[in-house]
Amino acid sequence: MKTSILRVLKRELRRIWRNPRYIIILTLGIVFTFVFFASMTKEGQPKRLSVAVVDMDGSYLSRRICHEINATQGVSVKAVYNNHSEARKAMQRGDIFAFYEIPQGTYNDLLQFRSPHFVLYVNSAYMLAGTLSYKQLATMGMLATGAVQREVYRKKGYKDDEIMGLIQPVEYDTRTIGNPWINYGNYLMTTLIPAVIAFIVLMHSAYVISRERQERTLKNWLRRAGGNTLYALIGKMLPYNIWYIFLCLLANLIMFGFMGFPLEGSWLLMVLNSILLVFAAQCAGCFIAGSIPDPPLAMGVSAIYSAMSFSLSGFSFPVESMPTFFYSFSWLYPIRHYFLNFSDIAIFGNGFGHCWPRFCALLAFGLLLLMGAFMMQWQQNREERLSVQSSKSDAL
Amino acid sequence: MINTLKDIWTVFSIEVRRVFGDRMVLLIFFLAPILYPFIFCYIYHNENVENMAVAVVDEAQCDESKRFIHKLDATPELSVAYRCNNMGEARQLMEDHYVRSIFYFPSDFSSRLAKMQTARVVVFSDMSSFYFYKAALTGGNAVLIDEMHTIELERYERAGLTDEEARIQMQPVVMENTTLFNPTGGYGSFFLPCLMMLVIHQTLFLGICILTGDARENRKSLHLIPPHLRRGSVHRVTMGRSLCYLLIYVPICILDLWFIPRWFNLPQLGNLYTILIFLLPFVLAVIFFGMTVGNLFVRQKISPMLCFVFFSLVLFFVTGMVWPQESMPRFWYHFSYLFPSTPGVQGFVKISSMGAPLSEVRAEYMALWFQAALYFVTATLVLSIQTFIRRRQNILTHNLRRVRQEGVAAIADSPLKFSRNRSSVDNNHK
Repeated sequence: MKTSILRVLKRELRRIWRNPRYIIILTLGIVFTFVFFASMTKEGQPKRLSVAVVDMDGSYLSRRICHEINATQGVSVKAVYNNHSEARKAMQRGDIFAFYEIPQGTYNDLLQFRSPHFVLYVNSAYMLAGTLSYKQLATMGMLATGAVQREVYRKKGYKDDEIMGLIQPVEYDTRTIGNPWINYGNYLMTTLIPAVIAFIVLMHSAYVISRERQERTLKNWLRRAGGNTLYALIGKMLPYNIWYIFLCLLANLIMFGFMGFPLEGSWLLMVLNSILLVFAAQCAGCFIAGSIPDPPLAMGVSAIYSAMSFSLSGFSFPVESMPTFFYSFSWLYPIRHYFLNFSDIAIFGNGFGHCWPRFCALLAFGLLLLMGAFMMQWQQNREERLSVQSSKSDAL
Repeated sequence: MINTLKDIWTVFSIEVRRVFGDRMVLLIFFLAPILYPFIFCYIYHNENVENMAVAVVDEAQCDESKRFIHKLDATPELSVAYRCNNMGEARQLMEDHYVRSIFYFPSDFSSRLAKMQTARVVVFSDMSSFYFYKAALTGGNAVLIDEMHTIELERYERAGLTDEEARIQMQPVVMENTTLFNPTGGYGSFFLPCLMMLVIHQTLFLGICILTGDARENRKSLHLIPPHLRRGSVHRVTMGRSLCYLLIYVPICILDLWFIPRWFNLPQLGNLYTILIFLLPFVLAVIFFGMTVGNLFVRQKISPMLCFVFFSLVLFFVTGMVWPQESMPRFWYHFSYLFPSTPGVQGFVKISSMGAPLSEVRAEYMALWFQAALYFVTATLVLSIQTFIRRRQNILTHNLRRVRQEGVAAIADSPLKFSRNRSSVDNNHK
């Protein structure tokens, strides 16, 4: 057993040495994706979102509101418009994400105790920018209302600390567990980078097997393994396994070590999680490429299957809120189990007691490897039988 | 002119036969762009997180906290699944993922309210998905504002103010919010239009790369260049092939970008005419972009699957739909305009979700035409350079073989003539 795996391993290493193109390209792809997300989300949240003010009042108050919005950290006033339709057009062009409309006569209304209406328009076709600019502007609006109220109370003779309790009787103290700065880099990268690695591992496993079929070297490969398809698969996958596990661990080390993303639980479990993710993705790739004898079809099926992994990992839109069928379907993706483990380990600091069912699930993907090997064996046997029959009929 | 049309027709008919004769290409061209939109529309049908389980820890046990909890339970976003006696219990529930958020009312909640101080509610939120946080925030904020008004109103009533007076005191300025273009703020309405465009971009691009790789691998005479074509007329090949893809993708685009959004009630304000006019340069740009990349890099039939599919994620992020374009580092902003997906998605979302007329998306529209023209030139250029090199190599090897077999005199009347280089070929081997 050992010798046949070693023979296949040696053959595979020679093949990689002779044509290292794809492993280099894919490694560069992973590095590129990492650098891309790291530099894109460097600031944590998008800053200086463009907003506008429609100032129909043109008073001292409305100008002060513009200044105050500009002084808010996350947004900047890009333009001040005179009417609604100009602002709406700017929004349609994508120039601004939100605008405040201050109607005519606001200042007079305020002085005469007729509450004027401010309208905040938000473009939520852009999810993140819309939500963030809404949050900033709504807070600003609350503060502005508060400031007016405070003036009234001051004139009535209340003290400042009493006024706070009057203006805001209840407030929230929000604790965001696992991501105290609400940093998008932390949120996106910790799941997306392993997801990309798992995706590439699956496709690469399917590719190397399909390539053997395409180059008609399948027989040679299996002969090296002594005719045992399982040993053949293990020997072939081993170098990729080690390489991608190394990359996955390196990515995690950079994220949790150097970039300072919080990791509440133990390192050891996270390492185990990464190893099992790569293993499970490889097994799924082996199963698809092993059981579909047509190489292009196998690659197409693996691409169609794994392109959905990003959605079904459930880190963006929760899988729990999807239709029930997809809730169960998501279990077929290694990245889903990885993500659940990650949230247990990194966010809540849970131990092995919480994670073991998912570790078992990831290990269960090993069965797919066995099935893939079985399917290949079956195809081989059938081919031999057919060739024997045809040679017999030729002899007759 | 007639020759040009004839050549385009020849290339076109060969290409159509190749597309429909290849299982993998059929999978990519037809199954993926028809299947994915349906699947994803179904996946994101719920738009928002509803009735997310939360735990409350009520150490205050007063009227106000009870009313607050009732109101939390009444929001569409949240549902109070557990009432715990202490934080330890609630924490355990959160660690076991039974609840995604905890609302904690400290014991001084009622006394602070009575003393007219600001009372505090502590909210713990699971950040594994930002949607849990968003649901807790949306539901929680609605209740907070409502509750603040109720408390203030009660106080004013006790102080002897009438309703109207109290209302003005409470709200000197009334804030109204209007959400445009995606009224529910749902994930599906935001994500699906981008996804449809990306699916079209990626399947078309991949399919073209696969067909190019297939031609390379099987050495089908220099990517389908009819033998009588000379270097100057290689653009006929580019045009013939692109015509084939264009005709295939027009119905797919109409299905994905017009009918499916209607069936699934996605926001759709644009009209079909504008969408089609906008899509023409988009599809052309993708076709020529695919042909350029295919001609330059692809050597195998199955390798495009391996190397390009995962890139969709990066493409999605550089479109600027998630991370706004102006907040992007400048390098990535310029990088994003290498791909037709960026102006394509931006423009399509503006037309379809926001109802912009063509004049409002002029920048994207021009960018797409520019890309289409640029990539048409590069695709043709790459092909003609490669043809030139390959033909030269062919003649060289052919002549070499003949020289070895029959002596130098044999190539004097060689049937393979390459007019410009014939003398140099001859000189090399004399």
